Amino acid sequence: MAFVAGVFGSMLGVGGGLIMVPMLSLAFGVPIKVAIATSIVCVIATSSMAQTTFVSRGMTNIRLGMLLEVATVVGAVAGGVTAVLIDGRVLQFAFATLLFYVAWQMNRRGGDATPARTGVLEAAYYDPAAGCDVEYGVRRTRLGFVLSLGAGNVSGLLGVGGGAFKVPIMNLVMGVPLKATIATSNLMIGVTAAAGAAIFYGRGYMDPYYAVPAALGILAGARLGPRFAVRLSARALGIIFQVVLAVFALMMLLRGLGFGL
Amino acid sequence: MNVRPEQTSPEHAHVMEPIEHAIRWILLCGIALSVALMAVGLVLVAAQGAGLPRGVVPLADLPAALSALRPAAYLSLGLIVLIGTPFVRVAGSLVIFVRARDGRYVLVTAIVLFVMCLGVALGRM
Repeated sequence: MAFVAGVFGSMLGVGGGLIMVPMLSLAFGVPIKVAIATSIVCVIATSSMAQTTFVSRGMTNIRLGMLLEVATVVGAVAGGVTAVLIDGRVLQFAFATLLFYVAWQMNRRGGDATPARTGVLEAAYYDPAAGCDVEYGVRRTRLGFVLSLGAGNVSGLLGVGGGAFKVPIMNLVMGVPLKATIATSNLMIGVTAAAGAAIFYGRGYMDPYYAVPAALGILAGARLGPRFAVRLSARALGIIFQVVLAVFALMMLLRGLGFGL
Repeated sequence: MNVRPEQTSPEHAHVMEPIEHAIRWILLCGIALSVALMAVGLVLVAAQGAGLPRGVVPLADLPAALSALRPAAYLSLGLIVLIGTPFVRVAGSLVIFVRARDGRYVLVTAIVLFVMCLGVALGRM
């Protein structure tokens, strides 16, 4: 299970957390905060392992990643501190709402961002699926930065890497092509998650019974995911992203309704 | 662990910048160390036949638990190394930006590292 989460998470730049938290709490009955702690570890594992591939392909825009990390990590620290104070059921309902929102956003969008040279944080990578080099620049850096603050906060609060927000922000708002977006988001979620994980560890929510097997499975899966991300067409990646989000949005909503929230 | 250049079109193999080399190297080391520690923990679990432990060892008790060969200690340290790897990655990026005299990104990276550490400090309160 963790292996599959690792493949999909690293392929889509969203971190396995988006898949791990509902799976752990729904299928294995893990308490939500332990599930979140486990998923944060998985997000870190996904990020670290996938970056070894993305970085060597030049797909990660490291400077863009570092810049937006300032926003996301500040938001995440605020969220991580509050998460341990909020009721688990409220968190679950918030998670369902978040997933629906992102799935809806992904559904509304058309094709990939059109690469354009803007003179800001420009980068280039080779896309084997398209068979050409893709050169691009970043648009609307300030708006993207502000939105990333919000994405970081949500991720700290809910134990997801926040990639589900970061990918749409970079792709839709900042005009970064999907593949570079996925690789850069993957880099960033590791930083956000590491700050959160340290807090969860200190509070005793980390359980090796779940975290160790999950981390090892994720590490194996995240060897594979980036290869798919590199080779698949951007359009196919976008559709997979959408389907994965929609399925889990539905699962969590059913769970939330079952509790009469 | 080596990632091959694109087999079908070797002329498109990406030439890594110093920062990309550094990040990749740090992450690979972190993953390898973490997996090794978890493997030791799992071997100890199997040897002692007690099943996987259900809680992590607090940082302060870690040295004693490690020398007592408690499986939980090795699994915990493996998780700590995994969690710590992104911290080291950001610190490593900072060193590279300092060396490249890229003032703007020295500042950006330093802020990220500071807030990460601040988060840990806040979480312990």
